[in-house]
Amino acid sequence: MDHPRARHVELILKQVNALPTLPAVATRLLSLTANEQSEIQDVVDLITTDPALTAKVLSLCRSANLGIRTPIMTVDQAVVMLGFNAIRNAVLSMKVFDTFEESEQASPDSARLCRADFWRHSIAVAVAAENIAKAHPHLPDLNAADAFVCGLLHDIGKLALDMLLPRSYERVIELTKLNRGNIAEFERSIVGIDHHTTGKRLAEQWHLPHKLQDCIWLHGADPSTLPNLDHRRLIGLISLADMMARKLHIGFSGNFQTKDDIASLADQLGLNVKVVHAIEKTLIEDVKNRSSILGLSQVPSRELFYESIQRANEELGRLNNALERRSQVSVEQSKILTAVTDFHAQAVPGRSVQEVIDAVIQSANQTLGQGFFVMLWQPQNEKHNRQWMIRQYLDTSIPREVHEGVDQGSNFPSEFSGGGWQLIDPPPHAPDLAQLDPGGPAAMNLVSIIPWVADYLIQSPDVRKIQMLPLSCGWGTSAILLHDREQLPAWAQLSTLTHTWGAAIAGASQHEGARRLGEELAESNLALAEAQDQLLQAEAMTRLGEMASGAAHEMNNPLAVICGRSQLLARSLDPDSSSHKHAQTIVEQSHRLSDLITALKLCTESVLPDRVPTDIEALLEQTLQNVRESLGELADQVGMEVQLIEPLPNVLLDPVQIKQALSALICNALEASTDATAKIQAQLSEDANHLQIKVSDTGPGMDEHTLAHAMDPFFSAKPAGRQVGMGLTRAQQLALAHGGEVGLCSAPGHGTEATLSLPLDSSLNLTDTP
Amino acid sequence: MVIGSQDLSDKQIFTTGEAADVCKISQQTIIRCFDRGKLKGFRVPGSRFRRIPRDELVRFMRENDIPIESLARGRKRLLIVDDDEQILELFLDVFRDDERFEIKTAGTGYDAGILTEQFRPDLIILDYMLPDVNGNIVCQTIRNNPDMANTKIIIVSGVADQKEVGRLLEAGADGFLKKPFSIDELLKNITQLLQI
Repeated sequence: MDHPRARHVELILKQVNALPTLPAVATRLLSLTANEQSEIQDVVDLITTDPALTAKVLSLCRSANLGIRTPIMTVDQAVVMLGFNAIRNAVLSMKVFDTFEESEQASPDSARLCRADFWRHSIAVAVAAENIAKAHPHLPDLNAADAFVCGLLHDIGKLALDMLLPRSYERVIELTKLNRGNIAEFERSIVGIDHHTTGKRLAEQWHLPHKLQDCIWLHGADPSTLPNLDHRRLIGLISLADMMARKLHIGFSGNFQTKDDIASLADQLGLNVKVVHAIEKTLIEDVKNRSSILGLSQVPSRELFYESIQRANEELGRLNNALERRSQVSVEQSKILTAVTDFHAQAVPGRSVQEVIDAVIQSANQTLGQGFFVMLWQPQNEKHNRQWMIRQYLDTSIPREVHEGVDQGSNFPSEFSGGGWQLIDPPPHAPDLAQLDPGGPAAMNLVSIIPWVADYLIQSPDVRKIQMLPLSCGWGTSAILLHDREQLPAWAQLSTLTHTWGAAIAGASQHEGARRLGEELAESNLALAEAQDQLLQAEAMTRLGEMASGAAHEMNNPLAVICGRSQLLARSLDPDSSSHKHAQTIVEQSHRLSDLITALKLCTESVLPDRVPTDIEALLEQTLQNVRESLGELADQVGMEVQLIEPLPNVLLDPVQIKQALSALICNALEASTDATAKIQAQLSEDANHLQIKVSDTGPGMDEHTLAHAMDPFFSAKPAGRQVGMGLTRAQQLALAHGGEVGLCSAPGHGTEATLSLPLDSSLNLTDTP
Repeated sequence: MVIGSQDLSDKQIFTTGEAADVCKISQQTIIRCFDRGKLKGFRVPGSRFRRIPRDELVRFMRENDIPIESLARGRKRLLIVDDDEQILELFLDVFRDDERFEIKTAGTGYDAGILTEQFRPDLIILDYMLPDVNGNIVCQTIRNNPDMANTKIIIVSGVADQKEVGRLLEAGADGFLKKPFSIDELLKNITQLLQI
């Protein structure tokens, strides 16, 4: 529908809402006459407040031709004589009729809806429906009085449209007549809304019973397309009666669409087709008789309508009762609504499911009364897939710890721990919580559905009393509230509350899921970024390695020439001359450069440890030996102290690589120490999972910057010109290849402690193959 | 070594007299051994003159524990293989004034192969990374030739990978030197391997 048209229709509907309501006096009268304890005087008083009404009641007595000679002059007499029901019906029908009083007399040529013909049609439909209903006493959903009222008022929407938009509606009638078409289609195309919808709005406005509202709204529709309503057959009956009246051309409904499928419709409604045909045959006569009795045969009269309305007597009386009941129901509804409002008032954004469930329990305590409550809920995350969570609440809304003394912390994720939530592994045949039928009434016995849950209700005073209340949301059951209340509000009202609770829990669950998803996304994002960093670094290392490998070959050749030539040069020089010394320097420096290239290459190579069970003490001894050898003549000037804190097991490692790593750490320590001493301690970590070899020195320690970069290739805290630091880089690399690491602990003035930590468990100690 | 006025160290084919000189045994003994097939050789076509190839003579001398020094030359033959001319020149300069060595150089594995056949070096200084073939192949080829069982090989490389070095030594290299090298160390290695 385009926008201007939508606006137009809205405008019409607003006007429908603005149509006069049933006057207050009629409503009041309804309630008075329905109450058996009402005094006649109350009714009389009410009528006498309205002079017009008084006159009409008195004239009604006269036209009713009661065979009384003396005219009735007082309202008291009229009420006594006519009876409550007659008075009420008269007043109601009069008021309905008044509402649609023709403002001006329609000219005979005019296409306007003729009120007399319209009412005649309405009465025909009412009579037909009534007769059919009477003929089928075995169908409890077809009540003759209902049928009559529904038939009478089924086209009330047409009157409303005619009154609101006289000119447009005239055009509708005209075109329908011209095209012999369905009036509703022309209503929709010209006015924008049909009499079905208009009538429904009006019926709502007047608080007519649901049955009546639906008959007004849905009559004429194929019964098979109707929703599964209790009064579906009644609606079909009105359609059938309407069809009959039109076929027989009784009165005028404005509609020219005639379908002769009465038999099939009757069959569809489960009616006796023969009986319906019989009724059809006598319908004209019946309506004529009725009209004649009511004096309607010639001229449409108001009295006829009053009379016909009397047929609706009982139904309208029931309507009144329904109103009464509705007011009772609305008290309960308001309670429920208050509970819902309270529940919503406590809502704050971003509550966890547990918080929402606590709030639900609190709300349940308020509305259903204090007692034993259990919430059964199925978390939606993968970790607890298919697991249920249960929590018991006793009397107060403060949850009790279940299984006190049992350490649940290790079994529960932190968000659930300490709150009395128990995690249940449902048996394989257990239904999916969300699939449990939420449509049923409250009084389902839990034990019959999920007997094993009873095991978790140990705090209940009496498990047999426990019933389940499914809390459902739009896509199923989001949680189940177990309770021991015997009396619950009617399901119709309670469902509002359970849906509210269910939706809140489902919402929180969704929110939690979305939040968790978001968090997981953020986490994996971080991990990805980290992996990418590592990848980049690995890539950089690989490239550096390739370069170093090429450089080692390409650069060592010229270095060999430089170095060799310098040696030859030195030979030719006086050993005591400074030139000789310079030549020697060239030799040394070319060796240094070559070593650096070698180190660089080593550094970038992937390390594959060749693990064998290794005695740590022997390994340390050999390492010291190696260090001494590398120091050559300087070996005597350094101090190395080895300490085995405890007996150590053999460790699966690559002795060559670990010796290399340790040598690097020791050399580093020796160089850092002012007195060239290093202390080496070997021990197991506190959790006994790692071998720790600590190498400490008494040097000046490292500042933060140095510490942060100590492992970087080429980084050296030493004054320029001394050996470049590839040792720690290499040591760290070798440790990582073993699944361990090198940790540095240092502060300026406190020396440095380097810890080589290696896992003892060989399964932790496996590295990826390249 | 000079026997008489003749330098036999380069001689490839020996007469029975020359062989007798080298072995310091009588010519008759040589002839007898030749005729019995203990010393293999050939007769000059169209005559009865016996001739003995150098290899066969060396084998005969070894088999009978005859000191071989008399056959060996006074100078050890070194073949230096490297694709870098500067390196080759460096080596040449290192050994230029050293009377103990006779030097030839090759720039490729192919040249090295030819020269090995012709020059019969006592020791090869071999660059591992050659343009046409890797050092370990050269190593294996030489080792698979029984005639060169006594030829020593020192591999020189700019890349000193422990595992690679291990493989080279397995392939038959006698020593390894990393570039840049100390000349003193190089000479020490050579003299040790050649026992001079």
